[in-house]
Amino acid sequence: MTAATAAPVRHRTPRATSAIPLTAARLLRTELRRNAMPWILPLIAALFWFDSYRPSTRTAPLYVLRTFWNMGQGHTIIDIGPFVAGVAAWMGSRDGRRGLADLVTATARPRWAAQLATWAATAIWAVAAYLVFVGVMFAWYAHQGVGGTPPWWWVAVGATAVTAFSAAGFAVGAYWPSRFAAPVAAFAGFLAMAMSSQTGFSHISGWALILPTNSNGNFQADSGIFYPWLPDLPVARIMFLAGIAVAALGLTGLPARAGGPWLRRAAAVVTLAGVASAAIAVGLASTARLSAHGMVIPALHDAASDAPVTYTPACGRAAGVPVCLNPAYRRWLPDVNGALAPVLAEVAGLPGTPARATQVAAAYSSGEVGAGQVITLGGHPPVLRMSLGQLDMPGPCGFCDEPVATKQFADQIRLGFAQAFVGAGNGSGSPGQQAVQAALLRGAGIPFAAQPKLMATTKNGPGPPPGPATGPVYAAARRLATLPAAARHAWLAAHLAALRAGRLTLKELP
Amino acid sequence: MTTAGLHRPVPGSVPPPAAGTRRDRAAAGWRLARLYLVSRRVPTALALLAGLGALLWASLHWHWNIAGGAAARQFIPLTIQTGAAAVIAVTTYGPFGEPERAAGRWLPWLRLGAAVALTAVAFGALAAGAAAGGMPGGTLSLLRNLGGMAGIGLLAAAVLGGAFGWTGPMAYLLITEGALAHGSATPWVWPARPPHDRGGAICACLVLAAGLVVITVRGPRESGRESGPAS
Repeated sequence: MTAATAAPVRHRTPRATSAIPLTAARLLRTELRRNAMPWILPLIAALFWFDSYRPSTRTAPLYVLRTFWNMGQGHTIIDIGPFVAGVAAWMGSRDGRRGLADLVTATARPRWAAQLATWAATAIWAVAAYLVFVGVMFAWYAHQGVGGTPPWWWVAVGATAVTAFSAAGFAVGAYWPSRFAAPVAAFAGFLAMAMSSQTGFSHISGWALILPTNSNGNFQADSGIFYPWLPDLPVARIMFLAGIAVAALGLTGLPARAGGPWLRRAAAVVTLAGVASAAIAVGLASTARLSAHGMVIPALHDAASDAPVTYTPACGRAAGVPVCLNPAYRRWLPDVNGALAPVLAEVAGLPGTPARATQVAAAYSSGEVGAGQVITLGGHPPVLRMSLGQLDMPGPCGFCDEPVATKQFADQIRLGFAQAFVGAGNGSGSPGQQAVQAALLRGAGIPFAAQPKLMATTKNGPGPPPGPATGPVYAAARRLATLPAAARHAWLAAHLAALRAGRLTLKELP
Repeated sequence: MTTAGLHRPVPGSVPPPAAGTRRDRAAAGWRLARLYLVSRRVPTALALLAGLGALLWASLHWHWNIAGGAAARQFIPLTIQTGAAAVIAVTTYGPFGEPERAAGRWLPWLRLGAAVALTAVAFGALAAGAAAGGMPGGTLSLLRNLGGMAGIGLLAAAVLGGAFGWTGPMAYLLITEGALAHGSATPWVWPARPPHDRGGAICACLVLAAGLVVITVRGPRESGRESGPAS
């Protein structure tokens, strides 16, 4: 037996570091229980219902339209963010207001670590509440049969924005331990969002796309229906908002009382990292360009995001012609069939008559409204392609004076069909094409007198008021419309090629 | 020194007030009011109200507007007015709780006086800021909006505590924003009504009166007495 073996066994004392997660968890639990945020949540929930959910129900039941106001224009953030900033400022100013700053500085834990626990508890309550509110709203949308897929990336942006508000508010409270820190943080946050809206409305490209209330190029049909929501801009905004959050939290670790030199250096690095992240995100947003499916940031774009959404179409028949729509538009299939049936019956048997009608995706356009020809006709056999995303569908319409009537929708479809059938394209067409188009619309039940107004309402933006249905075009259209149906059909069969080529003059009409 | 100049009061008569008593009471009253105002951080509130007046001046002078129609143009001035109402509400927060309630005989009057005075100062500061011109609705609208929202702030202070009185005006601002965007016409959303609208003015006055009565009689919710966020 040696002295070495005779020596008593030394038990290793438990490492102090193993207790840190447990202590941190206890601290966080205490902060969660003592946090002021839950007291404000009922008020926020009521406002969320009033300002985010309620206005959205006035739009057509498609996610891209339902969420335009509350996600695209950032109202879920406006409704929650300022309150979160205010409460976070109150929590951040707690030690200073109560004159406990010196006391907590002398404890075993660095003051910054304790402050981060307080902030984390506030942020957890706030983000959890945001996700619950949005989740309930989306669940209710799903219960109502809203078509398309929810904009999950934009939910992530909102959650990050709430985190950023909590961090910024907390920093205000930590630096200014006053009872007024909370309202100042809340109203500064609200004013920032208001100014963000002001800038966002007028900027359709460039750095301003980073602003969380800028809906330009983000929420147009048919995102989430024919193609997925592009994640490029949401990722940039998440980088921006997370950078703000990190920088604000880093700032709270800079004062001398926050901790030792190493900790304060780490806080400085964290602050700089946050600022860098936000700056890079702004730079990325300024490189964004509008594609057919939304904003593309080349450095962030994944080609896999361009893959169209696969679906089984919802089909019906109009005057014997198959009509197929995206299942998100299934509820409007009878309206589309009813709108197409009269015009399809008029041209049945003519060369170029569509063998089927199908819905196609609407492409993004600069600004917030769609542009381009709604209905096109082409291919062998001819296919009628309808970009319904550019139209206001029958029913509630968020940005209209009143709900869209079925007849109003049907008239727009019939006008689009007639323009496509005579080959007028996206313009008004030749006088001969205009006359035949007017006669076709008359045959489909739209009186001549109502046609100028119909055409005026389908043009985007303000224009001259509609005039009377007079002049040589309508005179020729009246002549054609008075022909017996068989004679008109025969004339169209003989002259359709010339008509579509734009060679037919008004004098050549019967 | 002799006692020859002293007069003995007639037995049973009420002693006349001493010359120094009224002065002392006035001094004590002034000291009480000053201590109350300091405990409510009124000097900071005055500085903030002056800052809000300057902010309103800047927003009108440099035409900070939200894009949109006439309703959108009053949004930033309205936000500043709401901020002033929030400051008034937060001054009701008292750190002393039960001891102050038990010993402060004049507390309700101090609460009332402070709220009325701060509302008047806020109106003056914002009216001075509106001198830059272009204030939507003019001074009458400013008075109505500020008064009504101060009432909301005082009511919120009574429900949630003085420290969280700001949540009332903030919530009302969001409701007003929705009303402005969607053309609501109820007089309870008075900022969305014309300046001379009687219904809006009546509603704003009712809310201000309710706020003043509640904050005078009941005071703000206190964390030590009742559970609340300001604990």
